[in-house]
Amino acid sequence: MPGSLAFYHPTTLEDAIGLLGEHGDEAKVVAGATALTILMRQRLVAPSALVSLGSIPGLDRIEEVDGSLRIGAMVRHRDVELSQIVRARIPVLAETFGKVANVRVRNAATVGGVLAESDYASDPPAVFVALDAEVEVRGPNGERTIPARDFFVAFYETALEPDEIVTGIVVPVPAAGSGTSYHKFVTRSSEDRPCVGVAALVRLAPDGSAADLRVAVGAAAETPQRFPDYEALGRGHVLSDDIVGRVADAYAGAIDTLDDMRGSAWYRTEMVRVWVRRAIESARDAAASGPAAH
Amino acid sequence: MTAADPSAPSTSPRPVDGEGKISLTLHVNGREEHLRARPHHTLLEVLRNELHLTGAREGCGVGMCGACTVLLDGRPISGCLLPAALAEGHELTTIEGLEGPNGELHPIQEAYVEHTGFQCSYCTPGFILTTKALLEERPDVSRDEAKAYLAGNLCRCGSYVKILDSVMDARDRLRGG
Repeated sequence: MPGSLAFYHPTTLEDAIGLLGEHGDEAKVVAGATALTILMRQRLVAPSALVSLGSIPGLDRIEEVDGSLRIGAMVRHRDVELSQIVRARIPVLAETFGKVANVRVRNAATVGGVLAESDYASDPPAVFVALDAEVEVRGPNGERTIPARDFFVAFYETALEPDEIVTGIVVPVPAAGSGTSYHKFVTRSSEDRPCVGVAALVRLAPDGSAADLRVAVGAAAETPQRFPDYEALGRGHVLSDDIVGRVADAYAGAIDTLDDMRGSAWYRTEMVRVWVRRAIESARDAAASGPAAH
Repeated sequence: MTAADPSAPSTSPRPVDGEGKISLTLHVNGREEHLRARPHHTLLEVLRNELHLTGAREGCGVGMCGACTVLLDGRPISGCLLPAALAEGHELTTIEGLEGPNGELHPIQEAYVEHTGFQCSYCTPGFILTTKALLEERPDVSRDEAKAYLAGNLCRCGSYVKILDSVMDARDRLRGG
């Protein structure tokens, strides 16, 4: 490990952004540190400066604003998992954060961290993409929001500029009549990262057809995969086995799956087919049994 | 997590001495400890090498095995994944902090001894600390819930059945059962 590591504890976002501007690529933002510590220990990254967000007040709140939940960047995974308001308003989000790694990692890892890291095998990104969440970021020129769908660019690469910091994420509460699901498929151990993770949202019309269908697949490719054209195969239809199967086949055909120690590309394609189907069925059944659609 | 020195300017790095070390103040097992360490050193390294608290062990080094479990404000974390500088301002508890004033075992420790909830014992401090956090969060925890909560602690001897027996007995002891 490098001997000269400058450790900063800025107390305002402006100071943190200024430090990133000053140090450029040599600086890393540190929040929960779970991912960064591993990358540093394995010498995959060797920053000369660490900028901690832990002394900046106000980044650890969860609040409901205009029909959305706003979750601050320093909120820990476990706080999302246990949050009463998240469990009441967007239960799939609490469930998904509760499936990440183990309780120790969830006590440390943050919402901003899992976004900024853009690890293809994290669970929350696919759910954020399926729920049309928007990432809030702040840089020297002020704030902007980036749709989650556009935020994850490639392996460990986001739409963030080098001197921008994630400050939170805004997740719209699904409309009445919606059901949601996240299926995490692991191939090695219960605390493993997913081989494939699928998030789905179904909103049923009064006639039982799907007024909305959204499907995002995580861990199968470099970034969460969502295909509006294939979601459209199900919209306006009753989600029968045949229709759901068509959406699942379309997703399996469209994703350029990757190979890693959790599964080969061929295997992942077949698991995308299975778990897209199951995720849609779960969301559909949740929508049907939830509070009545209007 | 909070900074050490509130008087330090927000945009200055922590001062480094001639050996490239920073000064740290940690609250461990109810005591305030002052020490020096490299900025990148983890809490686990500092506990073991500077404070000689060797109950937390390195297993996997990537947060998956739980041998390095430490309680931070009562919540289990992986000591191997936390830079020590980010542990300042928090109450830390290691296995050494569980004994009573005259060296009495904690009721959870007694339960693990009684049920032989270990073989080689490398993983035991982590299991006991995680059990403590679990029982504080859910005093009436079921065996299945305990199994799920403890899934991130690995015992390579495979003592899981006896570990769960110990957890259930510890629950009953702490409930005054």
